[in-house]
Amino acid sequence: MGNIARSCNAKTQSKGPQWVASIPGVLFALLLCLLFFSPLPWRFSLPWVPSLAIDFAVYVDGLAAQFLVLITGIGTLVFVYGAGYLSGHPKCTRVFTLLILFMAAMIGAVVSDHLVVLFVFWELTSILSFLLVGFDHERESSRKSAQKAILVTGVGGLFLLAGLILLGQIAGTYSIQLLLERAPRFISDGRLNTALGLIIVGAFTKSAQFPFHFWLPNAMAAPTPVSAYLHSATMVKLGIYLLARLDAAFSDLLFWEYTLVGIGTLTAVFAALQTFYERDLKRILAWSTVATLGTLVMLVGLPGHGAALATSVLFFAHALYKAPLFFVAGNLDHGAGTREIDNLTGMRHYMPWTAAAAMLAALSMAGLPLTFGFVAKDVITYAKAQADVLHLVSYATVFVNGLSVAVAAIAAIHIFWGRDTVPRKAHPHEANASMLMPPLILASLGLLFGLFPTLIDPLLGASARSISPGFDATKVNAAYDIVPVLEATLGTIIFGILVYLRWDWLHALLGRIRHFETVGPEAWYHRGLEALPRLAARQTRLLQHGSLPHYLLAMVAVVTILTIVLLVWVSPVRNWPELKTLTIPVLGASTLIAIGGLATLYVYDHLVLLLVSGLVGYGSAILFLFTGAPDLAFTQFVVETVFVVVVATVLVRLRRLSPEKMNAPKEPLLRPLSLAVAIAFGTTLTVLVLLVSGLPFDSMLTDFYAEQSLPVAHGRNVVNLILVDFRALDTLGEISVLMFALVAALPLLKLMGEKHR
Amino acid sequence: MTSRPLIAEVFMRWLYPVLLILSFWILMRGHNAPGGGFIAGLLAVSASSAYALVFNSSEALRRLPFGPVRLAGCGVLLSLMSGLPAIVQGLPFLTHPWVTLSLGFIQVPLSTVMLFDLGVYLAVWGAIGGYCLILVQAIEEDA
Repeated sequence: MGNIARSCNAKTQSKGPQWVASIPGVLFALLLCLLFFSPLPWRFSLPWVPSLAIDFAVYVDGLAAQFLVLITGIGTLVFVYGAGYLSGHPKCTRVFTLLILFMAAMIGAVVSDHLVVLFVFWELTSILSFLLVGFDHERESSRKSAQKAILVTGVGGLFLLAGLILLGQIAGTYSIQLLLERAPRFISDGRLNTALGLIIVGAFTKSAQFPFHFWLPNAMAAPTPVSAYLHSATMVKLGIYLLARLDAAFSDLLFWEYTLVGIGTLTAVFAALQTFYERDLKRILAWSTVATLGTLVMLVGLPGHGAALATSVLFFAHALYKAPLFFVAGNLDHGAGTREIDNLTGMRHYMPWTAAAAMLAALSMAGLPLTFGFVAKDVITYAKAQADVLHLVSYATVFVNGLSVAVAAIAAIHIFWGRDTVPRKAHPHEANASMLMPPLILASLGLLFGLFPTLIDPLLGASARSISPGFDATKVNAAYDIVPVLEATLGTIIFGILVYLRWDWLHALLGRIRHFETVGPEAWYHRGLEALPRLAARQTRLLQHGSLPHYLLAMVAVVTILTIVLLVWVSPVRNWPELKTLTIPVLGASTLIAIGGLATLYVYDHLVLLLVSGLVGYGSAILFLFTGAPDLAFTQFVVETVFVVVVATVLVRLRRLSPEKMNAPKEPLLRPLSLAVAIAFGTTLTVLVLLVSGLPFDSMLTDFYAEQSLPVAHGRNVVNLILVDFRALDTLGEISVLMFALVAALPLLKLMGEKHR
Repeated sequence: MTSRPLIAEVFMRWLYPVLLILSFWILMRGHNAPGGGFIAGLLAVSASSAYALVFNSSEALRRLPFGPVRLAGCGVLLSLMSGLPAIVQGLPFLTHPWVTLSLGFIQVPLSTVMLFDLGVYLAVWGAIGGYCLILVQAIEEDA
């Protein structure tokens, strides 16, 4: 691990703590020890947000353990590989930091036993994937791909959140284990299908199922170690993990079964067809990953124990052969400078070790006997036989399997064998050891587990048991009914080889009828993305026009209309109060306010306008004084005075600086309209105030303060006692705000002063 | 300013301290009659701005006890600390204890609530007064 830190530090002088690079390896070793010595399941729980009943509950059973092994094991190799691949790259440290964070999020997601905690980690993986896909953010295509990834998985995440909350409410618990136990009790709840539908959408976006599949091949803009780790081995399987997790309880629902089997199969076939369009090895691998994900979803959906076992075995087998193939693609990119399969032939002369890794991985991918891929194929055949699937699904699987044989042949034979006919500028070179070890190790493991499935049996058996609780046998090594399996395998292999031989012809054929792009989901995504700014611009022009009179008009009109609606329809108040006879001071104050208000209409000079509006303020103060609020009146007087003085000073200076006249609004309709709205507003408010004063007054609070002020707070001025004693903490907050407002305003004011000078 | 308003200046020299004393009196009577830290602080602000109107804002700023920010800060700190004795006694923060001080023939009731109100007074004076004065200062040509 040390060389990761070294390779990063060699040219970038970054100062990250170097031991971080060894985290995955240490975790992996720790995990293996634990698996040996401590029986599953492991569980513990920490309170996290007690007020929302969210616990950081950890539950590790077979399924989670299998994921942990993949996350840390492949993580270790990805780190080793990345050390070579990104050696000397200026942003090397960033990639490793993000990868570590990603690994933590991934571990959190699979061990979590709480739906909300699971969701939090789920979203974290989406965000980290966004950052890693957009790693090369100076390229536009890279940014676009990252945006696509986060938009699709992020929107899916919202669906998931809604689904999880609904599910939690139906079940009455957010603990996954409890929920699975209680499932029989609420299985007939009418809302369950909605909840599961929402969760399925979330899982499908994450695991790139049709019609959300299109973000995954674009995510290949990320550096190869990232693609191998996130977009093949771990993150995209998170959706399937969740489905498999819930499958234990809901596999009997027809809705669940049909959706998963249907969409899974559709995705697998569709992705297999898409593979032909591509000439870039990494994108070919990406589409074949989508096809595998589809197969996995289909397997989760199939009923029966065999399907559970098939799911867990294919999970594992896929990681063991797809990750090395991604590494191979990275090596080719590094050594030969291209990933286009047209420019790559006979590479075994230059990159013999890479060729060996590619061969080993391809054998497993093609599912040839004695490899782990073969074991996977065997259990899948068994699962389908047990589940009694439709013929259509069966044919689809054969088709998809045949295509993965063809892809394997492309990756191993087309590129590395054959004659080296392509003219090249630079001489291709073999990758260094840290880029060769990981693919070789993984591919050899594929072979080892193929020869001795008993080695991995306990883990995969435990995993299958958590997907399908009744499952009791460990049938991974149960000697295959060799004949039907061979028959099926032989069929797919022959089909695959035929496809491989006619690959270029198929590419040309399908390329000509490639109209799906213009009507497919990706096209809709792009259309939506283009329409969004247009919509935003239109509504901004409509609502945010920047004209103060119009804003005011709209606000006052809306308030008026809402008030009228409330008064007349929602909560009608009909008891008019008896009008009290007005005292002379109140009448005088009201007259003062009215004069001030009316005068503002006819005055254009700023300064006079200010003084006239001051009349309204003083009038209100007098009103307060004679209606029993001397403190308020006092404050109003002083505030009004200070306000008028300060604003007048500012206005006088400003007028001296820019002696232009105020421009009256030019629109002819605005003034009459404003007048109408103003009259309506005033009338409504008057009516409102009259009605409110007719309502019975609840004097509970007043009585409390009146009683308590002398014995508790030793004073007689209730207003002041509320400020300094009863609600002193509020006052303390207010004066702090005042002070900070001053501190915040000071720099601006100082700047303004300097400008004037 | 070309000509100085002499009468106003002379008048203002007297008025300013009178206004401040008045504001302090309003602060102290606030417990039982209309008044209190907030109103008194505003009155002090009006005194300051009147001073700024007659002389100029820099002069008025100089007549503040400290700088405006420091004045407001002192006020907030004072209010904050007036709640501490309650904590020491094990009461909730900002519970104001009362003691009666006997000076021979006269009994003077004392409480941390006075400190709290004084803090409000200073904070309002410093913050609002400071804001107004500095705003005016910023646009004065000859500041």
